[in-house]
Amino acid sequence: MDELEAIKVTFFQECEELLADLEGGLLAMQDGNDDGDTVNAVFRAVHSIKGGAGAFGLEPLVRFAHVFETLLDAVRSNEVPATPDLVVTLLRASDVLADHVSSARGLGDVDEAVSASMAAELKACTDPNAAPAPAAAPVVVEAAAAPVIEAAPALIGADDALDDDDLGFDFQPMTITIDEQAADVAAAAGNVWTVSIRPKSDLYRKANETALLLRELARLGPIQATLDASALPPLEFLDAEAAYATWTVRLETDEDENAIREVFEFVDGDCDLEITRGEAVAPDAALAALLAGDAPAPAPAPVVEAFEPAPVVVEAAPEPAPAPVAAAPVVAASAPVAAPTPAAAAKTQQIEVPGPGQSVIRVDPERIDRLIDLVGELVINQAMLAQRVGEYGIAPSSNLAMGLDELEQLTREIQDSVMAIRAQPVKSVFQRMPRLVREVASMTGKQARLVMDGENTEVDKTVIERLADPITHMLRNAIDHGLESPEERKAAGKNPEGVVRLAALHRSGRIVIEVQDDGKGINRERVHSIAVKKGLISPELQLTDEEIDNLIFLPGFSTADKISDVSGRGVGMDVVKRSVQALGGRISITSRPGQGSTFSLSLPLTLAVLDGMVVDVAGETLVVPLAAIVESLRPKPEEVRPLGPVGAVLAVRDSFVPLIDVGLTLGYRDSSPPPTEGVVLLVEGEDGSRAALVADAIHGQRQVVIKSLEQNYQQVDGVAAATILGDGRVALILDVDAVISLRRREPPRPVEPTLIAAE
Amino acid sequence: MPQASTISVLVVDDQLTMRALIRNALQQIGFKDIREAPDGEEALKNLLAKPANLVISDFNMPKMDGLALLRAVRSHPPIRQTAFVMLTGRADRELVQRAVQFGVNNYCVKPFTVQGLRDKIEQVFGQLT
Repeated sequence: MDELEAIKVTFFQECEELLADLEGGLLAMQDGNDDGDTVNAVFRAVHSIKGGAGAFGLEPLVRFAHVFETLLDAVRSNEVPATPDLVVTLLRASDVLADHVSSARGLGDVDEAVSASMAAELKACTDPNAAPAPAAAPVVVEAAAAPVIEAAPALIGADDALDDDDLGFDFQPMTITIDEQAADVAAAAGNVWTVSIRPKSDLYRKANETALLLRELARLGPIQATLDASALPPLEFLDAEAAYATWTVRLETDEDENAIREVFEFVDGDCDLEITRGEAVAPDAALAALLAGDAPAPAPAPVVEAFEPAPVVVEAAPEPAPAPVAAAPVVAASAPVAAPTPAAAAKTQQIEVPGPGQSVIRVDPERIDRLIDLVGELVINQAMLAQRVGEYGIAPSSNLAMGLDELEQLTREIQDSVMAIRAQPVKSVFQRMPRLVREVASMTGKQARLVMDGENTEVDKTVIERLADPITHMLRNAIDHGLESPEERKAAGKNPEGVVRLAALHRSGRIVIEVQDDGKGINRERVHSIAVKKGLISPELQLTDEEIDNLIFLPGFSTADKISDVSGRGVGMDVVKRSVQALGGRISITSRPGQGSTFSLSLPLTLAVLDGMVVDVAGETLVVPLAAIVESLRPKPEEVRPLGPVGAVLAVRDSFVPLIDVGLTLGYRDSSPPPTEGVVLLVEGEDGSRAALVADAIHGQRQVVIKSLEQNYQQVDGVAAATILGDGRVALILDVDAVISLRRREPPRPVEPTLIAAE
Repeated sequence: MPQASTISVLVVDDQLTMRALIRNALQQIGFKDIREAPDGEEALKNLLAKPANLVISDFNMPKMDGLALLRAVRSHPPIRQTAFVMLTGRADRELVQRAVQFGVNNYCVKPFTVQGLRDKIEQVFGQLT
């Protein structure tokens, strides 16, 4: 029974996929894609869930799925039109079905009242004229021409009653014996042998003769011999005593392989012999013929065709065949090469349309994680080797160094490929959102339609898992605060149904998630006054529109007048922002009054590797994330201006940025050397604030494998993670934002950079 | 009396769960040589590359459904004699009628028991040992 339990686990996994297909299909129908394929895919999803559930005796799930399926069947056969209202009902039904699946899995309960009323609604849609039948009464209409309506309990109980008249007609099963099949297979291909003969020169030297062999073979049955003389050189290079010709013989015989082998008894060792059962052509040719057109394949095995255009066909005759070398045309071999082409073409066509679930291998994620870890080690190891080789002064042009270069490339490729295995489309997160939107909309009394884009955008699994929360929050926010009520929208001349767009895309090595609504946009006056009232900003501060919009990310900011059920759960956008930043991401908002707002969230594609700049600070090696670095420069003395007793700012073109000595901030040293002696990295934090980090030297750019500091040690302020360098040393990866804010907290408090710039 | 262990079977269903369940049932009956395909197209490819004695196929599948697979098998000489058992839902009466026209050997109504499936296969091959 353990195995059945394992299958059950598979079933629930598959249910997740099927529910996603169901919802996806219904949403496509909502967008007007109600072609047969889509409707059938929707039907099949519910049908499959019911089928599996039936096998495991999950009765409530079967019962609901059955009602659902019956309606979908009617939609599929155009008995019930797929109106927009019906699709909305189907979407709600899919939510109830999902609840039933969760409940069957032991993860939560189904609201029986909701389920019963949904089932009744589905039944009413299926047959509007039918009097509402009592739910429990099993109505079995057997063998009727009308759509068969039956109660689920009968279906489950049907297990032991699988009679032939099950479906109400007399069916005589056709019997077949294995022998018949064997005979059939033999007739088609079984008694056909392919004998390939490749004589060596010795065969002729010993006065043997291929023609005799062929004649001998012909005694076993009809043969068709094909000469391949493609190896025959031009006359001037021809060695008269060498063997150049090879033969492929198609032999039909009832004799076995030994009988065929006996023919070659006297030339044993003097020729290469290959005897295989069946035709010499790949079965793909037959398939190609079948798939190419709708018409059934021609009755005689089509593989024979491949033999016909072959260069020389010698029909078996009592007369001796021509001598192998004599008069064999040199043009040969073009036909046999051409023959498989249609098959190959058909094959390519196949590859272009890989179906869902086809040739998919399910692997325990832990194995992949382990693989990624190992590849990380490999990258480090390879870097170590390269460094050693450099230290020994081995010339870059030497074989060793060049081999190492190749190794580096290979390692990079392996790493990319392995990361690609763990990359997943954001679909798995996106597919949970339509339901959320439906629920939030109904809770807030708004009408909202979710449009999704780029669901197949891929990103590392580690990132995907952490996308759900921010997206959920941004969507809630968009509907609750962004969209107006249907009345307001009508008054503003908009469609009462608001549109929320959720999109994913790749942009410059990061994944960008956008949540866009067509609501009223941010009320800047109110945001500004609230921020002032709460003491978040000083009243005199002049802010740009963009700066005002981004005030909503400040901790403790909440614009909702009344704490609504949806957004006002004490979690503000500031929490979202912080969790996004913790992943090395950034979030921003743009808004146009009356037209809506767009949240934009960008994250690195992976949390496993990072492109960084390796720098030296007070004898320590640090890695600064490349994404944060704007530029690096050597400051001139006149560009450095002192500020207060210990602080300094750097003039970069038209603005001043605070100079931060990383060594001082992290406690590596007590006093800073003059910045002009070191290198300055101009960095930009997630909030757009800039700073100039002073380091002693730059070593170069490198991709590093991120090792969590929290997992291996503990969290350290100003440090994001650790990595292992090529020489085996551990280096810390700088948390640029933390370093900037650490510096800000330092007494004496430096003046805000914006004010410096304004001076 | 054919031996189940010598009969090769190809299970065709788009659902992983159903394939696993059918495979499990077949193993209980005594089958050893069991292959799987997720749709008709793959199944046909599979059969042409290596014939099987018995095909157990679902009907509603993407790309090539069970009926189309049955037609393809019957119109293709090397595999024409393959025994074909169609799995159907209960309401698919018309479907079974069409399958009979195309030469299905038997059908089995889902959900089925191991014994139910065994009976259907034995009606085709005779009692299995």
